[in-house]
Amino acid sequence: MRKAIWLFLCITGFTFSQNKQVLYGFSEIPQALMLNPGGEVKNNWYFGIPLLSHIHTSVGISGSTVYDVFADDGVDFNTKLRNAIYSMRSNDFFSANQQLEIFSGGFAYGTSYNKNKYISFGMYQEFDFITYFPKDYAILAYEGNQNNINRRFNAGHASASAEVISVLHVGYNKKVNRAFSFGVRGKIYSNILNIATTKNKGYFVTEYGENNFYNHIFNLDLELRTSGLSSLTDDDADSDAVARALKKRALFGGDLGLGFDIGFSHKLSKQWTVDGSLLDIGFISHSKDVENYKIAGSYAFEGANPIFPETGSGQTAEEYWNEIEDEFEALFNVDTTAKKYITWRPIKMNASLNYAFGEKRSEECNCLKEDVGYLNAVGVQLYAINRPKQPQMALTAYYYRRLFKGLRAKATYTIDSYSFNNVGLGLSVHIGAVNFYLMADNFIQYKNIYDAQSVSLQLGFNYIFNKNED
Amino acid sequence: MLKQIFKYTILSVIFIFAICSCTKDVDFDQIDDFEIFPVLESSLVHLNEPASRFYIDGYEVAVIQDSVSIDVFNNQFAIDNLIKAELVLEMTNSINRGLDVQVDFFDAANQLRHTFSVSVEPSPNNEEIVSQHTEVFEGNSLIALKQTTKLVLTLRTRSGSPINENTPGRIGLKSKGVFYLKIDNSI
Repeated sequence: MRKAIWLFLCITGFTFSQNKQVLYGFSEIPQALMLNPGGEVKNNWYFGIPLLSHIHTSVGISGSTVYDVFADDGVDFNTKLRNAIYSMRSNDFFSANQQLEIFSGGFAYGTSYNKNKYISFGMYQEFDFITYFPKDYAILAYEGNQNNINRRFNAGHASASAEVISVLHVGYNKKVNRAFSFGVRGKIYSNILNIATTKNKGYFVTEYGENNFYNHIFNLDLELRTSGLSSLTDDDADSDAVARALKKRALFGGDLGLGFDIGFSHKLSKQWTVDGSLLDIGFISHSKDVENYKIAGSYAFEGANPIFPETGSGQTAEEYWNEIEDEFEALFNVDTTAKKYITWRPIKMNASLNYAFGEKRSEECNCLKEDVGYLNAVGVQLYAINRPKQPQMALTAYYYRRLFKGLRAKATYTIDSYSFNNVGLGLSVHIGAVNFYLMADNFIQYKNIYDAQSVSLQLGFNYIFNKNED
Repeated sequence: MLKQIFKYTILSVIFIFAICSCTKDVDFDQIDDFEIFPVLESSLVHLNEPASRFYIDGYEVAVIQDSVSIDVFNNQFAIDNLIKAELVLEMTNSINRGLDVQVDFFDAANQLRHTFSVSVEPSPNNEEIVSQHTEVFEGNSLIALKQTTKLVLTLRTRSGSPINENTPGRIGLKSKGVFYLKIDNSI
């Protein structure tokens, strides 16, 4: 089992992106407050339809796509595989992210004529996975060491993490004056499952030797940390026990963590707005069901000297052979510990600059309607997320439009680690108090989904009571 | 209200059509074609000893022998994936005596399955004489290799001028294995 997991983590090279560039700043949708707790609030109160209020999935791969490798194009599979292995870099990754809101709600309060404070709350489950392409492992497996004498195979190329958590949160938003609002959201994280190997170091190299053809040098410092896994993979853990354990952890009976989000929004003028947020500044402390596997040590092997092994040491041939065996066993011996550890949540940053224009004119009197605001907005958004090897960033330009009274649309164009032509589109429909939203990105790549570098989708249903509605 | 619902339904349908993806042909069964051919090289045994090592307790020793238990060749991974192997031996001699190295391959029943030897000529002026040999394992010899659990190395000095503690020269041996693997989807 351990070997299988280890192998899986070594072979796969995947992660999901978490950028929700279409939803960010889409203030008619209550869930936009999850991306900026200090953002503009347009409703008086709302509740999300349980389990349907926010469904988010996204998958991203940098480097080669599924289509590059599996296209039914008559090209030999192994040629395509070879091209993929050689064209990808160790910083290429696969990532996946999924969120499901269990419940959510929010309400404004304050003086009856100026309800300028807003509380929002809810609970969601999140799955996050990232694995980098273990390039040197792949090359070593693909070629062997014969053509790679003196090449240092970097053991640090194995880097992956996966987590499943549930999050309970409460947010506070305050509109300080007409121009400025801020918000903060406290979060309690509950770990369901965490598996990570992100701090591997060391190398393997075959050099020309002095006493023999080659000197093989192993210098390894590898660690896989798991929390919440070992009790599930116990031999006596049947499916009922696993289900019970997962349910308990989802309901905050497992390892816990704390975190917060902060954000603000500031109107520079009637038409210009700047806003920003930092999300998931927090940690989870893993202690209850921890099992870590570590391989550490260094050994240089030039071969064995079998006929005169006792040279200088007085040891017998058998002792000599046992010593070599022991050295290798010590090197590759997997130490299992239950040492507790802390994981930091991937911090995310959002910022945007927005310009609204095109005031709505009344059809009846050809005059400006009071307080309905602008019909259009354009802007740029910056997104960054901290990842094990390096931060990932995305830059988005967008156009927002109110189409009818109950329909809002936003189109985005994003440049990120995956591609330079990511077009996204989102719609928010308001029929009476019922709100439905649907947004997706990478429309250009939907022409051939297997060739997509990343795709993401968000949708949800809410029941909203709006301020401006009669 | 009805009109509104109708309008939004139409729009939603258009939207869903827009995001519904097309695919070009992919064939995941191609994974069955997966095969890679890594070639591994590994140092095996080595030695470098003065001529006086053949002179023990006042007597010249003509034959030195050592055996090695080895389970690398007959483990399941090697049996399934090793398609060819080479053993490369390089002998360096600066002793004025000819030398033979013999390598015997025994299986678990202690039956000799394969053998080969390498010779190096005497060096009258104590300059290094190098002799290299590559033993290739394919077909039947590869099958023999995969059943090998014990290697016996025998070092023999040929007849010639006697060796004592003052005899000049050294004997050196380097060796490596070259392992040609084929790893496919059957594992």
